[in-house]
Amino acid sequence: MSGTPQSDPDDFDDPLSNYEPTQYASELHRVLAEESIDSMRSTPIAEVTADTTIRDATKKLSELKVSSLLVIDDEKLVGIFTERDVLEKVAENYQELVDHPVSEVMSADPTVVYETDPVGMALAGIAVAGHRHVPVLKMDGTVLGIVSPKRVLRHLSPNLD
Amino acid sequence: MGFRNELEQDTIDSLPLRDAAVVRPDTTASEAVRLMRETSLGCAIIIGPGDAPIGLFTEQSLVDLLARDQSLDACVVGDCVDPGFLVVKSGDPVSRVWDAVERDGLRFVCVTDNDGRSKGVTGQRGIAEYLAERFPQQVLVQRLGNTPWMQQREGA
Repeated sequence: MSGTPQSDPDDFDDPLSNYEPTQYASELHRVLAEESIDSMRSTPIAEVTADTTIRDATKKLSELKVSSLLVIDDEKLVGIFTERDVLEKVAENYQELVDHPVSEVMSADPTVVYETDPVGMALAGIAVAGHRHVPVLKMDGTVLGIVSPKRVLRHLSPNLD
Repeated sequence: MGFRNELEQDTIDSLPLRDAAVVRPDTTASEAVRLMRETSLGCAIIIGPGDAPIGLFTEQSLVDLLARDQSLDACVVGDCVDPGFLVVKSGDPVSRVWDAVERDGLRFVCVTDNDGRSKGVTGQRGIAEYLAERFPQQVLVQRLGNTPWMQQREGA
């Protein structure tokens, strides 16, 4: 009989037989490396659409006492409008810009993290990339939430000892 | 030793400090905004007698002024301080800043020397960088951008 010879199950060499899970120096190390961002609190979020006026977006930042608004069109993140944008792009010409759409001054294509990324990546977005707020996307590209330094620290706090 | 002990033993000197613009209470908001843009920092420290910090004018203060259609030239920073204000000494434990960020959501914390003179600010960014430096293999190796990790892999 021709064809692939039958393999003997007893000869099977399991490549994972010597696998040993990563050992972490502390629970904090493990949380940063292995826990996914969807285990963190990343809601609520504050959002506007791209055609929202700068006046309305600024009022929303003030009323909600938040530092950033996610700019979402058709359930997709198209940008982020932050207090820094107000400082850098809006403040000195506010009266001229108030009726313009927020899309003109928002930060397009912001750094994002995905729900399955590790918590350490959210921290990298804040500490390394220097963003105060990092949007969290689902794998289909829709918005899940946003992470902030406060939310990261709250998530880590139970594991400090 | 748990990380909580490190937070108690390390002093605020070990956090990155940023040089913030320093203003007096009678500085106009428009002048404070100009200085904040120069320093690329979201706050200006309002100092009083002895150069001691007495308040902060922040991006949130600015947003609140604009939202109320108030003229930045007509407002002085002493009238629109940010309600979130904490002063710590550089020899205080890092845990003070951690707690201020985690529990109170403060973005900036003013740091003074032992004589109470302003040395700069730290806060959310400072504590995040402190954490990242202590957990480099968990934080500093992460890819950053706006595409999923899977799409960045080469090959099949």
